[in-house]
Amino acid sequence: MEPKRFARIASNPAWMLAGLVGALAACTPYPRLLDPAFDPGGRGLNSQFDERSPDVAGRYVVFVSERQRRQNIYLYDLRTNQTIDLPGLNRLTVLASDPDVSRDGRYIVFVGNRQDRSGIYLYDRQTRQVRELAANLNASVREPTISADGSRIAFEASINGQWDIVVYSRSGQPIELPSRPLL
Amino acid sequence: MALSSLTATGWGVDCRWLREVRRGAVTLAIVAIAACSPAEVSLTSGALNSPHSDSQPALSGNGRYLAFVSNRGGSSEIALYDLQLKRLVPLPSISRDDAIAESPSLSYSGRYLVYVASDRGRPEIELYDRISRRVRVLTNGYRGWVRNPNISPDGRYVVFETGRRGQWDIEVLDRGPNIELDRADGT
Repeated sequence: MEPKRFARIASNPAWMLAGLVGALAACTPYPRLLDPAFDPGGRGLNSQFDERSPDVAGRYVVFVSERQRRQNIYLYDLRTNQTIDLPGLNRLTVLASDPDVSRDGRYIVFVGNRQDRSGIYLYDRQTRQVRELAANLNASVREPTISADGSRIAFEASINGQWDIVVYSRSGQPIELPSRPLL
Repeated sequence: MALSSLTATGWGVDCRWLREVRRGAVTLAIVAIAACSPAEVSLTSGALNSPHSDSQPALSGNGRYLAFVSNRGGSSEIALYDLQLKRLVPLPSISRDDAIAESPSLSYSGRYLVYVASDRGRPEIELYDRISRRVRVLTNGYRGWVRNPNISPDGRYVVFETGRRGQWDIEVLDRGPNIELDRADGT
């Protein structure tokens, strides 16, 4: 670049401002809070309604929100700063809560309540299918978690009159755990 | 009443009474020992679920470790279970009697553990590094109520619920690209 041209660019106030902003941004200390833009169209992370139960894995944040007048599950992409459609997940007959997502964003596990019965459900974004995990477990369930690699799912089940933790493989096989009283 | 019946019935009953006392003392001692060393008992028993309530499970990204809230020590604290070796893993730095800890979350290999600790009257989100064994408060100076933290598998992002705007919203904390990331291959 010719020296004259460089001097002209460098003396331009707009470029100087841009340089200053860039330098300041580079100096911003970590840790810092991201401030995703508020989207009036409802595809943002936050809305004017409640957002709860966030779980982050890879580029995805899964959470529940009442932005569409009912409690639905949303998947937010930290790279595009937009929610991703989840066809077949949010059904009118099921109250969904406590979602968790695998790192590749393919599997979402959540609690579904239908007519006073709670179940652990697994949504596959690839097949758009929802299936119940441990459907023959005769217990109230809550607080599911899926490992980031999508291999295992743990949740609370009220089996012996108290909340216990059980672990299943994604295919629905219970993982045997030693469980006996301490005394 | 009990005293007068003792003096009236003589030695035979007295001995039975003593035996009862001795048996009671032994039982008491067992209970006392158990109450004083809950961590040791849990470690050797290998049991995941105790007679106390265990709740809020969180799997590490690779599915090997399970963090949860346990009441087995008498207070609400975080416990870590190794599903491969089938035993509890001690967490010395974050076990304190004066704090309630809840809502655990683990990174991919279980190196980073975030949770909510309420030890100064206000819940704070803390991060425990199992390699450096240091605890760091992530919400120092944050204005607003916080709960339900969750850490990304690589350990860079922490999301949590905030009451800052008068309703529950989600906050995303970026720990930056210069932290030691928890990667799948252990580097």
